[in-house]
Amino acid sequence: MPNPSPDFRYPLRWRLMDGVERLADTLWPRSMSRHTGWLFITPAILLVGLLVLGLIQIGDASLRVLDTATFLPSEDWSLTNYRKALASSTYLTVAWRSLSGAVLVTVLTLILAFPYAYALVRVRKAWIRKALLITLFLPFFIGQVVRAYGWLIILGNSGMVNEALSLVGVAPMRLLFNYGAVVFGLVQYMLPFAVLLLVPALTAIPEETETAAGSLGASWPRILWHVLLPMAKPGLIGAGLVVFTLTLTDFAVPAMLGGGSQDYIANAIYDQFFRTADQGLGSALALMLVAAGSVLVGLVFMVFGAGTLAMGGRK
Amino acid sequence: MSGGSSAESTAGNPVAVVAQGVDMDFGTGAMAVKNAAFSLERGRFLTILGPSGSGKTTLLRMIAGFQTPTRGTILIGGRPADAVAPHRRSVGMVFQKLALFPHMTVEENVAFPLKMRRFNPREIPERVAHYLDLVRLAGFSKRRINALSGGQQQRVAIARALVFEPELLLLDEPLAALDRKLREEMQLEFRRIQKELGVTTINVTHDQREALVVSDEIIVMDQGEIQQQASPVGMYRRPANPFVAHFIGVSSFLTGRRTGTGLTVNGTECAGQAVDDIAPGLAAQGAIRAEQVRIAAPGGDLSGCDTVLEGQVSDSIFEGERLLYFVRLPALETTVQIYHHDPAEQAPYARGATVSVGWNARDLLIFPAKDR
Ligand SMILES: Nc1ncnc2c1ncn2[C@@H]1O[C@H](COP(=O)(O)OP(=O)(O)O)[C@@H](O)[C@H]1O
Ligand SMILES: [Mg+2]
Repeated sequence: MPNPSPDFRYPLRWRLMDGVERLADTLWPRSMSRHTGWLFITPAILLVGLLVLGLIQIGDASLRVLDTATFLPSEDWSLTNYRKALASSTYLTVAWRSLSGAVLVTVLTLILAFPYAYALVRVRKAWIRKALLITLFLPFFIGQVVRAYGWLIILGNSGMVNEALSLVGVAPMRLLFNYGAVVFGLVQYMLPFAVLLLVPALTAIPEETETAAGSLGASWPRILWHVLLPMAKPGLIGAGLVVFTLTLTDFAVPAMLGGGSQDYIANAIYDQFFRTADQGLGSALALMLVAAGSVLVGLVFMVFGAGTLAMGGRK
Repeated sequence: MSGGSSAESTAGNPVAVVAQGVDMDFGTGAMAVKNAAFSLERGRFLTILGPSGSGKTTLLRMIAGFQTPTRGTILIGGRPADAVAPHRRSVGMVFQKLALFPHMTVEENVAFPLKMRRFNPREIPERVAHYLDLVRLAGFSKRRINALSGGQQQRVAIARALVFEPELLLLDEPLAALDRKLREEMQLEFRRIQKELGVTTINVTHDQREALVVSDEIIVMDQGEIQQQASPVGMYRRPANPFVAHFIGVSSFLTGRRTGTGLTVNGTECAGQAVDDIAPGLAAQGAIRAEQVRIAAPGGDLSGCDTVLEGQVSDSIFEGERLLYFVRLPALETTVQIYHHDPAEQAPYARGATVSVGWNARDLLIFPAKDR
């Protein structure tokens, strides 16, 4: 032992780390080290496994019909719930509203997020960049419910916007509880996600590439179209997928800004589980949502190639 | 607008680029470019040479019109460099990091300026093929940029900058990232292509060898100021000041006072010739190139030398085709560098060996002493 004196002691932190290391060696001997990788993804596997188990449960429930007399699910399996959901014009309306809303929100969010992310990446003055970041994240910290409530205050019949309009002699308008209000609320909610996913993609495009395109004869709209957008494609697809799936399955914004008249699929599922207590129908709706989302994401991957999401691009 | 029509507008004007009193002040202390003035005739190949941070890129970007000078004017074909929007200028530029479009093939990259400048679509494939041929990339048109080597990417960038036949080609250290062998090959390519097309070219580099090899004219810059504009031979033989002598080639410097026939260093008379008129007695600095100093065994044949001194070899470096000696001259209290060719015919002088060293009066250039 190279101790300088008999009463010398290593710092407490070192001794603790030594202990932890010894413990780890006993629990997971060095000879197992080539399997260590598996150890690290075990939590993920467990989580996904739980999710799959849940899905199987839901799949089972979706095949049982609720007996309205006893309020118990039936013993035998049938596709009745699916048939009911597909035949119902209410659910078709809800499904169409969710899908079209998700597409619209995705497009609008990307259109708004792209210039914002571009400004964040290219702006030279540090304080402007900070201001942009704070403006982007402030609503993030407030939380979805409080934010939606804020919109109720601002956009309500006697809210700030209508008050301001009445000052110039415009009659109060219904700004809430319609399709537009839900889309508006969702776009505002999704913007930071989209910006954050676009920033790395735009950072990867050197400013010199734009200067070069300009010197080769491209005006700025053409630089945008022929250089920036194609080079940012992986980021746009990634951001689009995230915004689309989050919107398609969103619950709070349609519930609060839609005021019950603008339900999305998640709201319909909620109703079945927690209001009507028809677990079978709720499960069928949930599975159809999962299927629709998966098919759409799968289609995007097929069209653009799964590799587009990896920043390196295709081979 | 096509490259052809704008080239005609300068047909009667033999001067392609003129800069007068150009300053660039970023407001960060020293000016990036100070009072730059030069002119370049059409069809010439000019290299701006200088150490890193000397303002080369800034000057080039002002010529390209990407930046507006704080003071002064830059005229290209008689018009201010930034008079029109970048995409309407007839200037092709190869950037240091190439700035190729990775989402396009080689062919699409080269066709890009033609499409943007609205060339006749039926002409485009032929033109692209012609320029890919010129840079010797004929078989690579369908390749992606990522699937090319550094030297091949370099050529794509050159083809892309040339294909629309600009009045002026600007190159910002495009070879700096290549390894030496490839760099030297590409330098010769540059020269060949430039001579073949006759396009007025301004190249920026910190590599003195590249400047000497490729250029018709060289401008040396230091700390934002143009030190000298001359042909490669003129610059090498007649550097305007000690900085240029130091930056191009390998020179030794002697500090002393001007005399009627040269320079007295530490009381020893050294034969030399003054570049500027310097009154005798004033402080002066002499510079002599390593290949102009001769070395021989003590008392050996140094006939024709105007100054002969004795010294000791302090080090020698084998460079393949030649040896570089460092010889300490006690009389001058300094060390000189000497290139000695064909060392194979005799054993090299050992470290510590006493040798004779000599030079011709016309090879020791004498400058007014500057604080360098
Ligand atoms: N955009 C800029 N803002 C502030 N200073 C700059 C800018 N561009 C260049 N400089 C400064 O100007 C000087 C010359 O730079 P540059 O022209 O890039 O030199 P070179 O190309 O010869 O290496 C440097 O000191 C550099 O820091
Ligand atoms: Mg530079």
